[in-house]
Amino acid sequence: MSSEITGNPPSHPVNPLRKYPIDGQVLKELTEAGLTWLRTNQQIVNSLNVFPVPDGDTGTNMVLTLQSALAEVNNSSERNSGKVAHAIAHGALMGARGNSGVILSQLWRGFARALDNQEYIDGPSLVRAFAMGRDTAYKGVVRPVEGTILTVAKDIAAAAEQSLKTTDDPYDILTLVVPAADLSVQHTPELLPVLKDAGVVDSGGKGLFFFLEGMVRYINGLSLETPAAAVRPLSAMNLEQAMETVEPGQDFEVVIDFRPNRELDIESFYATLQEMGTSIQVGEGDGLYRMHIHVPTEKIYHPIDYTRTLGTVTKVAIENLMAQMEQQESVAKYDFPAVEPGQIAVVAVAPGPGIGRVFASLGVAAIVEGGQTMNPSTQEILRAFENLPTDKVIILPNNKNIILAARTAAEMTVKKVRVVPSRSVPQGLAAMMRLAPDESLDVVAEEMTAALDEVQTGEITIATRSVEIDGVSVQEGQVIALHNGKLICSAGSLEEACLCLLKAARAETYELITLFYGVDIARQEVNRIVDIIRSAYPDQVIEVQDGGQPHYQFIIAIE
Amino acid sequence: MSDEISPIGSIRISPRAIATIAYHAARQSYGVVGLTSKNLVNGLARVLVKDPTHGVEVHFDGQTITIDLYVIIEYGTRIKSVASSVSNTVRFSVEKAIGMPVREVNVHVRGLRISDLD
Repeated sequence: MSSEITGNPPSHPVNPLRKYPIDGQVLKELTEAGLTWLRTNQQIVNSLNVFPVPDGDTGTNMVLTLQSALAEVNNSSERNSGKVAHAIAHGALMGARGNSGVILSQLWRGFARALDNQEYIDGPSLVRAFAMGRDTAYKGVVRPVEGTILTVAKDIAAAAEQSLKTTDDPYDILTLVVPAADLSVQHTPELLPVLKDAGVVDSGGKGLFFFLEGMVRYINGLSLETPAAAVRPLSAMNLEQAMETVEPGQDFEVVIDFRPNRELDIESFYATLQEMGTSIQVGEGDGLYRMHIHVPTEKIYHPIDYTRTLGTVTKVAIENLMAQMEQQESVAKYDFPAVEPGQIAVVAVAPGPGIGRVFASLGVAAIVEGGQTMNPSTQEILRAFENLPTDKVIILPNNKNIILAARTAAEMTVKKVRVVPSRSVPQGLAAMMRLAPDESLDVVAEEMTAALDEVQTGEITIATRSVEIDGVSVQEGQVIALHNGKLICSAGSLEEACLCLLKAARAETYELITLFYGVDIARQEVNRIVDIIRSAYPDQVIEVQDGGQPHYQFIIAIE
Repeated sequence: MSDEISPIGSIRISPRAIATIAYHAARQSYGVVGLTSKNLVNGLARVLVKDPTHGVEVHFDGQTITIDLYVIIEYGTRIKSVASSVSNTVRFSVEKAIGMPVREVNVHVRGLRISDLD
C-alpha cells in the first residue's frame, strides 16, 4: 500500500512546509493531517477485527481519541513545540477510548515528555521523542503482548534511530519511518497467532501507521481525503457505511461491475475516478471488479463511460442518495409521549430507527442512537436526558458495551438516574413493559431489572471473519446466530440460522416470537423466512417489525 | 466447581483455574501494571502479587460466573478506558477458554503506579 511515498528524498513537488522548522503550529498541522488520513481510512482499520461479529471499532476509537487531542490545541497559537505536544497528550489522555486509544495517549505522553520546553523539533529530538513514546507505552503493561500497536511503536522508534545515521532532517526521518511502520504492521500476524488465525494484521498498529502516513502525505502534498487505493474482496465492500459520508453536491451513487480487458492499473484508475467524485471503493473477485463512487448529477454517466474504455461492463446501478437520505431522515423522527415533572422518564439506546419507534411507542422519553458498532458516548447519553422536564430517569443501554457509559452518565448528573442493565434490544423492550411512570424510581428500576430475564434474545448476522469461538467454527460470509450473546451456530442461510437459534432457545415452550429485521435485508426475503418460521412454530405468535438496525439481519425476541 | 455434565462424564473447572486465566488476561491488558490482594490495606496494597488467587475472586452461582479483579493501573492512563478493556479482555479470555458465560467482571482499581519517566 502507498508505495508512492516510500523511499528517501521525495520526488514530488516539495510542500513549502518543509522549509520551516517543526514548531508548535507545524506539529499541530501534522497531527491534524494524520488524523484526517486515519479518518479517511477508518473503515479499513475497523474491518481488521478478530471477532466474527461486526463490532470492530479500533479505527473509530483512535479517531475519537485524536479528535479530543486536537481539540485541545485547535485554537491555540502556541509556537513552542513542547507545549503543543503536552497539550495534545493531555487531550489524548482525556479522550482516550478503547485499548488502542489508551495506548495512543501513552505514546503521546512519552513523545511530549521528550520535547519538554523544546521550541522546535529537530531530527535528534524527534528520534528521542519516538523512543520516549515507546518507553512510556511499554511501561503501561506488565507483560506486553507483541504483535500489537506496541510492537509497531517499537519498530518506529528503531527505524527513527537508524535514520539518524543518514539524515538529521525531521521531515526526512518521518518519511523514512513510515515504510518501517508498514513493514512492522505486516509482520504482526507472525508475532500474534490470534491475528494469523483470523487472517488480519493488528488494527491498532495499522491505525498508527495511517496516522504517520497521513503526516508524510501532507508534507508531500498528497491528498488526505481519498482512501488508500486498496482493492478488497467483493464481500468486504461496505457500501452501507459509504452512505454515511454523503456530501452535498455528490448526489448520485454509481456502482459498476466490470471485467477489465487487461490488467487494471489501480493507481491510475483511482486517480481518474477521483476527478469524478468521492467515496471511491473498488472490490475484486474472480477477475470481476466492482467499483463504487458518489458523483454530482452532471457527472452521472462519466464513471460508466470511463469504465467501458477499460473492459466489459456487466452491471450498473445508480441511486439518488439525496432522496434516500431525506427518506431516512423523515422516518427517523420519533413520537415521544410527554413527560410530566416528577414522573419517571426512560432513555433507551436504539441501534436502528425502527427499534427506536417501537421504544417510543412503549413510552420512552428519549432515544440515543447507537448500537454494536457505534457505541454512544457518555456525553450523548447525558445530553439525551439532561433537558427532560423531570429528575427521575431510567436508562436502558440495550447493549452490554453501553452499560458502562450509561452508568458513568448516571454519576455525572444531578438527576436521580438508575441504569437497568439491558444487554439487548429484546431485554430493553421486556423492561419497558414494567414501566410505571408515577411509582417510586427504585421500585420501578428493580421491577424492570427483574423483567430482563423474562425474554430470550437472538441475533442473526453475517460473520466478517473466519474464526472459531465457543466451539463453533465459522467461515467468513456465513450466517451466524447468537443466543443471549453467545455464538451457537453458523449456517449457510438466514432461515437455517433462525431455526437453529429458535431451537436452541426452545422457542416451542414460549408464546411470542418477535423479529426485528435490519436494513441489510429486503422485505420479500423477510416474508419468505417468516413463512418458514411460522410453519415450524405453528403454536407461537410471530410478529415482524422493521428494526432498521445495521449489521444484524434479525434481532429476535422470544418470550 | 463449574460443572458440566456430558454423556461421558462430568467436567469440573475449579475457581482457581478460572482465576488463573483471568489473572493472565488481566496482566496482558494494557494499562494494568499488576494485581493486588483484596485484603491488604492502603500502603500494603501496592504489593503486587504473583499468586493468581490473590488479585482475582471467582464466584460461581451454579450457572454463571462472576469475577472480581483487584488491579493497580499505570498513572497517567485513562482509568475508565483501561478498566473497561480489562473487563472485556478477561471476559473474552475466560469465556473462550471454558465455554461458559461470564455474567460480570468487576474491576476494582486499588491503586495507581507512578512510573519514573526520566
